[in-house]
Amino acid sequence: MGKTLDVQLKCYHCGSECRDGDIAAGGKIFCCQGCRTVYEILEINDLSRYYALSASPGTSQKKISTKEKFEYLDHAEASAKLLDLTDGIVSVITLFIPQMHCSSCIWLLENLYKFNAGIQYSRVNFLQKKITIRFNESIISLKNVVELLTAIGYEPEINLSSTEKESEEDERNKKSRDKSIYYKTGVAGFCFGNIMLLSFPEYLSIVNNVDLFLKSIFSYLILLLSLPVFFYCSSDYFSSAVRALQKKMINIDFPISLGILALFGRSIYEILSSSGTGYMDSLSGLVFFLLLGRMFQDKTYDILNFERNYKSYFPAYAVIKNEEREQSIPLSALKVGDRIIIRNDELIPADSVLICGRANIDYSFVSGESAAVEIPEGSIIHAGGRQRGTALELEVIKKTSQSYITQLWNNSDFTKPDENKIAAFSILAGKYFTLAVLLTAGISGICWLNTGIAQALNVFTSVLIVACPCALALSAPFTLGSTLRIFGRSRFYLKNASVVEKLSGINHVVFDKTGTLTSLNERSIRFYGSDLSQEDNEAIKSVLHNSIHPLSRSILKLYPEVRLVETENFREYPGRGLEGKVQGRKIRLGSVSFVIGTEAGGVPSGNSSSVYVSIDDDIKGFFRAGNIYREGLKDLAGCLQNYEVSVLSGDYDGEKETLRDILGTKAKMFFRQSPYDKLSHIKKLQNQNKRTLMIGDGLNDAGALMKSDVGISISEEAVNFSPACDAILEAQEFGKLGEFLKFSKISMKIIYMNLAVSLLYNIAGVGFAVNNSLTPVISAILMPLSSITVVLLATAATNLAAKIKGLK
Amino acid sequence: MDKNKPAYSSDAGKTAGGGAAVQVETFSYDNQIVRSFALATIIWGVIGMLVGLIAAVQLFWPQLNLGIQYVSFGRIRPLHTNAVIFAFVGNAIFMGVYYSLQRLCRTRMYSDLLGKINFWGWQLIILSAVITFALGYITSKEYAELEWPIDIAIAVVWVIFGINLLGTLLKRREPHMYVAIWFYIATWVTVAILHIVNSFEIPVSLFKSYSLYAGVQDALVEWWYGHNAVAFFLTTPYLGLMYYFLPKAANRPIYSYRLSIIHFWSLIFIYIWAGPHHLLYTALPDWAQSLGTVFSIMLIAPSWGGMINGLLTLRGAWDKVREEPVLKFMVVAVTAYGMATFEGPMLALKNVNAALHYTDWIIAHVHIGALGWNGFLTFGILYWLIPKLYRTELFSRKLANVHFWIGTLGIVFVALSLYWAAVTQSLMWKQFTPLGVLQYPNFLETVLKIIPMYVIRAIGASAYFAGVIIMIVNLVKTMKKGHFQKDEMAEAPLVMHNGGEKGHRWLESRPVQFTIAAAVAILIGGIVEFIPTFLVKSNIPTIASVKPLTALEQQGRDIYQREGCNNCHSQMIRPFRSETQRYGKYSKAGEYVYDHPFLWGSKRTGPDLHREGGKYPDQWHYYHMQNPSSMSPGSIMPSYAWLYTQKIDIGQTASKISALRKIGVPYVAGYENVANEELARQALAIQKRLIANGIAVEADREIIAIIAYLQRLGTDIKVTQAMK
Amino acid sequence: MWVLIILMFFSLLVALIFLGAFIWAVKSGQYDDKYTPSVRILLDDDVRKSGVPDSHNSGRAEG
Repeated sequence: MGKTLDVQLKCYHCGSECRDGDIAAGGKIFCCQGCRTVYEILEINDLSRYYALSASPGTSQKKISTKEKFEYLDHAEASAKLLDLTDGIVSVITLFIPQMHCSSCIWLLENLYKFNAGIQYSRVNFLQKKITIRFNESIISLKNVVELLTAIGYEPEINLSSTEKESEEDERNKKSRDKSIYYKTGVAGFCFGNIMLLSFPEYLSIVNNVDLFLKSIFSYLILLLSLPVFFYCSSDYFSSAVRALQKKMINIDFPISLGILALFGRSIYEILSSSGTGYMDSLSGLVFFLLLGRMFQDKTYDILNFERNYKSYFPAYAVIKNEEREQSIPLSALKVGDRIIIRNDELIPADSVLICGRANIDYSFVSGESAAVEIPEGSIIHAGGRQRGTALELEVIKKTSQSYITQLWNNSDFTKPDENKIAAFSILAGKYFTLAVLLTAGISGICWLNTGIAQALNVFTSVLIVACPCALALSAPFTLGSTLRIFGRSRFYLKNASVVEKLSGINHVVFDKTGTLTSLNERSIRFYGSDLSQEDNEAIKSVLHNSIHPLSRSILKLYPEVRLVETENFREYPGRGLEGKVQGRKIRLGSVSFVIGTEAGGVPSGNSSSVYVSIDDDIKGFFRAGNIYREGLKDLAGCLQNYEVSVLSGDYDGEKETLRDILGTKAKMFFRQSPYDKLSHIKKLQNQNKRTLMIGDGLNDAGALMKSDVGISISEEAVNFSPACDAILEAQEFGKLGEFLKFSKISMKIIYMNLAVSLLYNIAGVGFAVNNSLTPVISAILMPLSSITVVLLATAATNLAAKIKGLK
Repeated sequence: MDKNKPAYSSDAGKTAGGGAAVQVETFSYDNQIVRSFALATIIWGVIGMLVGLIAAVQLFWPQLNLGIQYVSFGRIRPLHTNAVIFAFVGNAIFMGVYYSLQRLCRTRMYSDLLGKINFWGWQLIILSAVITFALGYITSKEYAELEWPIDIAIAVVWVIFGINLLGTLLKRREPHMYVAIWFYIATWVTVAILHIVNSFEIPVSLFKSYSLYAGVQDALVEWWYGHNAVAFFLTTPYLGLMYYFLPKAANRPIYSYRLSIIHFWSLIFIYIWAGPHHLLYTALPDWAQSLGTVFSIMLIAPSWGGMINGLLTLRGAWDKVREEPVLKFMVVAVTAYGMATFEGPMLALKNVNAALHYTDWIIAHVHIGALGWNGFLTFGILYWLIPKLYRTELFSRKLANVHFWIGTLGIVFVALSLYWAAVTQSLMWKQFTPLGVLQYPNFLETVLKIIPMYVIRAIGASAYFAGVIIMIVNLVKTMKKGHFQKDEMAEAPLVMHNGGEKGHRWLESRPVQFTIAAAVAILIGGIVEFIPTFLVKSNIPTIASVKPLTALEQQGRDIYQREGCNNCHSQMIRPFRSETQRYGKYSKAGEYVYDHPFLWGSKRTGPDLHREGGKYPDQWHYYHMQNPSSMSPGSIMPSYAWLYTQKIDIGQTASKISALRKIGVPYVAGYENVANEELARQALAIQKRLIANGIAVEADREIIAIIAYLQRLGTDIKVTQAMK
Repeated sequence: MWVLIILMFFSLLVALIFLGAFIWAVKSGQYDDKYTPSVRILLDDDVRKSGVPDSHNSGRAEG
């Protein structure tokens, strides 16, 4: 079908443009064979509603994975680890499916049982992009389930970490831990609502005695409702205060527990001796707001995982060659001496020796060298590099867990600086506040001693009650919680709220070069040499067109509109160059030695990644690929004036000058840094008690990221791999890093402002308490009022500041 | 198929023949019950609204009842409220629940038989309501006017619906219970308890009973029920329907599912506290009144949470809302819900309430909620559901749009005219001349002033009614065009509760449901016993001079209740100068101690009657009841000619007296034996006075009893004044 | 004002029932997934391809 190129054809399955309309089925056009296959499978199983729910819902199927890719799942050992539950016949598995993005995906993935009766049911959790499938092993094996998912375009991502399940028990208590916060808040909310309504008559002080009986019923009901609040809902605060005390430290939870204890004790005494109505509504209100603060603060991102290590970077399987048959086995079963086959764009799972094949290894992600390295046969290739080019055969010399890069993880000073160093602010507040409160309570108690022991006790407990730091303890969670959300909205995801506080204390910023300052996949290619005519361009493009080498792919991008011409006797010398005849003219492209034969002088030399061009043996010039620096780097450098800046790179120092004029002369540069050098550099900085912020992206930065006070990892797309860190920043927001740092300082200022406001309330409260006129009504108004003002002030101020700073 | 078979051929997926027990079950949804409820909704909707329209017209043209006692305003107003609430909205709830519950649980209803019993039982109850109201068997407790046998029937049918609901939940194939299901459960549980608590009555005969509570206590229980009936019968189930049908009609997920969960639980934990805001400035203790006010203000948050969640579901699809009539109906419904739930709390503020209580503003507030929220959401659901049940397109979208615009205009006219009338009347009631005397002492002047607004309201109501007729035409044509699908086939995998937990699904959920059900059963059983003993001894400060009514006056009170006089006349004078000057001393809690049921009323179309005793001579009442405009020219009160022909039913006097004594009214021992002689003596005295003024009347006519009751109203207080 | 106690008792009773229901709901994992249910309700109307009225649906693999 002679369709002209200009009409934009959209693939019915995945919506990408298709060059020509020859791949079609059922009157619909597809961009590739893969998409067409998926369409046909759905058509046969009467699931074509998939396309009705949303327009072109699929993802492009250009890269079809090889048939035996999932063979390793047949190994009992691998599948046992992957399955959630199994009773021999029926088993349940949860898989991570990144391609899930719309309601059609949900619909299709929940109708898997229509494909095969063996699948009993499948349920999707859209936010976490996970699917839980229960299937009958006697009818359909785990391998078939995964192959079915791949066949319909939803290949699950299975890596080494998913095959090593955390132990059953700590997964369960992780789930139950975050549920207990729901129970506590629910019960606290229930009791607070009802106690407040029950204590309403008390606010309006029932006058005549007829209702005295009613008043006692209300008091006992209030007492009953406050028991769960005291014994269940506020148990966290008591336990954390006791834990801190055991370590001879007073944290913010200590005065809170003191306040709750005083409130409860005083109220119990008053109700039972019916000499008052007690402060149960202030107590339940306080606990309810504190719990709300905690829920608001530990907002988690469903898809992101901040504790990734090398295991989630390596694949779960390796293809080994025994007796001339290729077979895929789980990575954990890989032994020293096995022969493994690595294809283009696949990862080398373990340190091994190259047996045969042209190795062109891209180590940028692992060791930081940006250019691909050509490694001759017989030499050692480290685990973690990606092969760019034809298939290789290697022999394993070390198991994955002992390979060079993964040694980092069992390095002694890899441990994170002790996590329970609770944010400085809360210790400071805890200690001084408690001191102040106990002092005022004691003194005012003594002053009232001469009028009577009862009044003295009254005053003592009133001071403890009203001076409880509820407002103080609420300003941090709500401010930091809102900052967390504001950063999240501009695609800067923090692990938890205390990271904001650490960010504000940073004074030294350390950058990694490859992948952080420079962007990995776009490479700027320019042609150096005499200018080329139109036919020359056509000839070059036609020759390059039929080579799959990544370099030729990126050069092709320079000629989008140029016409394609017929090329005869095209030959590709892997790792050296290409050769072809176009309209009778001989074109040669490739490395220096291939195109010119010798290191000819006079021709401008590029580094190893430049591609020379000769037409009929006349050298025209060469294409050189340079790194592009992330946009926004210039003004970021501007913002970081008052920070010390240093760059650690695993690469050569070729880019030293360009970096110097961007980052300014003050920046210190270190090149050829191994992961250990980076780790020790951060340790050195910390010894000069510098507060370091490390920004990196690759595995080689994992050590430095872990060690530095705050580790931010850059990732092109939030879902794919980023090493263990405190925050994930999406690549396109790199320019805003300066603003984020400044904003974290602002939020600390907002916390201190709230501190002042809550101190004002406390002073007013203590004023009442000291002259023994703290009636329940006043406390019932003062306590919620102070908490609500601080909460509103914290959230409003943070959001307002974000709007002003343009972060919203 | 073509040669290059897809890499993963589909037939490999299909097991040939048997294979292990296939976990996929095919079943069918029952649409039959849904359609019957839908038809009932439409029919009862038309009847309820027609009765409403007639009542509206009677308010400015009393002669419309053609002198027939069965259609006089006092009797058709309760018929209108019960028909619209329990018949129209009730059937709509059952339609929506039966349709959505099956889809949400991916299973057929628990039992078709229970569904049918639920349907026919409910329609029979409505029919019995129409008959008993026309005959005057009314308990006068608003939205619970049905007599005790029908109350029991309602409880039985409601429990059957509950069993069907719970059974379907237990055998659901979808472990997650969507938020709408939680709203349905909340509706069932609370309405069950509300109805039972508010229906404690001592039966006197098959169609007569006296409420167990008295006076102020009866008022509190009635309005605790009244508000929560509105809350849990008109709002919670409709929020459930909104959370299901709005996303389905817009084909977009609800704006924030998390907000809907918070909205539900925050609403349900404290919602049941509402009620006292209906009794502001009455004889209720003031802390209870303030409690009602504070609580109503707190209600704005959850209600508006629901509204925002509903409206924001449509963000980004507003162009779809422009052409799609179903979405237009739903948007106006949700907005009306937001307005009504904001207006309610404002009305609960004491100063606002002081001005607007007993005026037409309350009626406007009710109709924004009813016509806007319940009406429009029901129409939206019908326009979406009927075409789906008949597997065809709506007959004409243009007609649906016409209905939408006429309906909206109707609501606007009804609401605005009543707002206008309320403000006018309230200001006139409270207007003082510079000399400190009421500017409009004669109540009639304030009524005549607002008759034009009643006319506009009637016009608005007929516009809304016309819209409903247009809808019926549209839906009937749609039904004719399509073919009804009795059982809709469906297929769903058998889903175990969260993962491969051991144990059969039934067993796993049974202990939880059983414990709750058992607890509730024991509690209700216990309550039924210990309530009477508790309540008889009420500790309201009794006023020495307040004595129980005589037999004749009690018969007169029952006629007052039968004719529904409390729909237009209140018996509660509030402690405001404008009211004490117009009516007399303000009413104290102690005066109502023996009133079973309380007759405070909630609307003053006519003047307050609590101090009516001795205000006018007997013959004034005689002529007034015969032809109101003779005594007060232009009055819109209908005439009660049948009171002059019907005899007082003295056969029941004895059983009435003994029943009242059982619930705490201190009649002298043995009074029931002499009751009829004393009744006859008092009647003769009244007859003699009337004859002296030239009126020939038999002593046993009902008018005599009414006159006796009216002349006794509020006189117990005056006795103490005289003695002092 | 005995009735106040009765009403309060019932109000608290209903509220307690729903507190129990809340705890059961959270425990039985109703709120583990806070987004997908809102989309799942939209996905259930299976329009049969054949469009033939369903009472005698075309031979699906009964299996």
